[in-house]
Amino acid sequence: MAASISGYTFSSVCYHSANSNSDHEGFLLGEVRQEETLSISDSQISSSEFLHIVEVHNHEPCAQLFSFYDYAGKVNEENLNRILKDRRKNVIGWYRFRRNTQQQMSFREQVIHKQLTNILGIPDLVFLLFSFISTANSSTHALEYVLFRPNRSRYNQRISLSIPNLGNTSQQEYKVSSVPNTSKNYASVIKEHGAEFFDKDGVIKDIRAIFQVYSALQDKVQAVCAEVDQSERVKEKIQEEVKKLKEEISLRKRITAAEERRHQESLNTENHSLQDDSALSDSSSPPSLTRVLLQSPPLEVSLDWPPNSTALPLYPAAPAPPPAPPSAILLPRPQAVGSPGHPSPGLGLGNGDGSSSDSLNRQAIGQEDQLEEEEEEEDEDEDSSEYENLVSERLQSPSLTDTAVSLGRPAALWPDGDTHSSGGSS
Amino acid sequence: MAVSAVHLESDAFLVCMNHALSTEKEEVMGLCIGEVDTNRIVHIHSVIILRRSDKRKDRVEISPEQLSAASTEAEISFNFTHRLAEMTGRPVRVVGWYHSHPHITVWPSHVDVRTQAMYQMMDQGFVGLIFSCFIEDKNTKTGRVLYTCFQSVQAQKGSEYERIEIPIHVVPHEAIGKVCLESAVELPRILCQEEQDTYRRIHSLTHLDPITKIHNGSVFTKNLCSQMSAVSGPLLQWLEDRLEQNKQSIVELQKEKERLIQELASL
Repeated sequence: MAASISGYTFSSVCYHSANSNSDHEGFLLGEVRQEETLSISDSQISSSEFLHIVEVHNHEPCAQLFSFYDYAGKVNEENLNRILKDRRKNVIGWYRFRRNTQQQMSFREQVIHKQLTNILGIPDLVFLLFSFISTANSSTHALEYVLFRPNRSRYNQRISLSIPNLGNTSQQEYKVSSVPNTSKNYASVIKEHGAEFFDKDGVIKDIRAIFQVYSALQDKVQAVCAEVDQSERVKEKIQEEVKKLKEEISLRKRITAAEERRHQESLNTENHSLQDDSALSDSSSPPSLTRVLLQSPPLEVSLDWPPNSTALPLYPAAPAPPPAPPSAILLPRPQAVGSPGHPSPGLGLGNGDGSSSDSLNRQAIGQEDQLEEEEEEEDEDEDSSEYENLVSERLQSPSLTDTAVSLGRPAALWPDGDTHSSGGSS
Repeated sequence: MAVSAVHLESDAFLVCMNHALSTEKEEVMGLCIGEVDTNRIVHIHSVIILRRSDKRKDRVEISPEQLSAASTEAEISFNFTHRLAEMTGRPVRVVGWYHSHPHITVWPSHVDVRTQAMYQMMDQGFVGLIFSCFIEDKNTKTGRVLYTCFQSVQAQKGSEYERIEIPIHVVPHEAIGKVCLESAVELPRILCQEEQDTYRRIHSLTHLDPITKIHNGSVFTKNLCSQMSAVSGPLLQWLEDRLEQNKQSIVELQKEKERLIQELASL
């Protein structure tokens, strides 16, 4: 059995995985066909072998984890159909990208795989596992990939995945000289009949023809590229708008909650002073704070709030000024992978705590809340997240901030928080 | 140390991967475009695929003069075409180079380290990236793609150069930038130009008999066909798939946006 995936599809999976701060998964679309190879050996006149070829044409990334299954690993067929739509018939497998984990299917993955096999009705469903590891100083990173056939017997489970490419573009096949030949007959025959191949300018006709094909193809590539570019800009813009709306909603909710809290506190204070039977104090009690709150424009509240206020805005005020870039960069947990001097072919896990995809899932979710807190803090914090966010270099330069934003690029170094919202929402 | 780390944006990373995976028989190379910030972090926003004048299998390098010329040309055309200088108020420039190591270890060879040292003489902050691909462990059927970042340093005066490791991180970038898309679709054009140049040189040889000329014409046709089926075709397919994915995302995002607007209005 052989399998192949195009370099562009492979890179695309790597790209989606790099954009994800948690595990990433999706479906593999393509086809499986059989090729018959005939061979002649000394013992048999002809023997034919059937070779199953798995061709991955494309991948369908899932926007978030747990999108078609729950924590118990139960696959939800409705969600599956919603994700796949009419591409369901092209599914030949699924894939998962994880960081710093072992090259084996996890228990949940096996459970999901069995269900997918039954639901999709594909007896030989394949599973492509990507695992990512890095050296301790993050200078070298490795992406390992294995294609599994879990439904086959235990001993035959891994398939070689090849990436077809240009191979040898050697231009040494051009002949720079002709084989010497003094035969006059040879010269005259090939000149007379060979003339068919040349046009009036002495150029080989085929050359022009094939160049036309290439030209037309390249024009088409450019045209579709322009369309893709446009769609990327539109997508970026809407993503930005969605993000701002979420921030606004979040802010409003917090303001409302804070107001209610103050209201509660002021009620309690009034009750106490009534009990005290002393004159109602008109010191700077919460009611006046509330008034201050209501007067200031909502989006600048963060700047006006008194230092002892209980609720801090977790997103910086951002009407015109762009959101501040995050003060930390999330890195995959570093592994002491071999020594820098020589590459070890089996880049093992330095971590040894057997971290599995499950724990990473939980960590990714817990990470979000912690992300929000980090934005306002100025120090490199020792956070309590199991994911061990490594705060390395920070983007302190304000000019860089402006640069990043004016390029129209989302300044955040990680995807919109809600893309990986907790698994409860499905 | 001149450089503390490299941040490679994920769409530039995508183009590098595409390029590195385009052929397993030769090393490919390109230039990294970006800027260095005040913390000595090199930010790579995109890459430029380079034409190779010397297509030897085991080495890829261009002389510092060639690099300088290529860089200047790249920066000028880059900034002009994309008007990045206007947008950012700062020109972006060539900050490094990358090349691939198909079937070979990711670590730079002695030639690579020396080449990097030469580039560093012109620009201390110049960094080198290497992508190693088409590696497979036959026993475990595990395939591998690796990438590393390095600079060169002279251990002692007069001694050989050695490499120093530079941390490199791929930074998420949800949408693929225009510049990266355009770099990606340059590859088939560059391959075709290389083929045309070679053919023209051969074609100018006048002492070839018709059979040999026909043969050479067929080689050109064959090579161009290879390029179309191995590069242009899959590239076009990936672009179409991406377009489709984007269209769907846009529809879903629109729905979410409307939902959020309603939610905001109700607060």
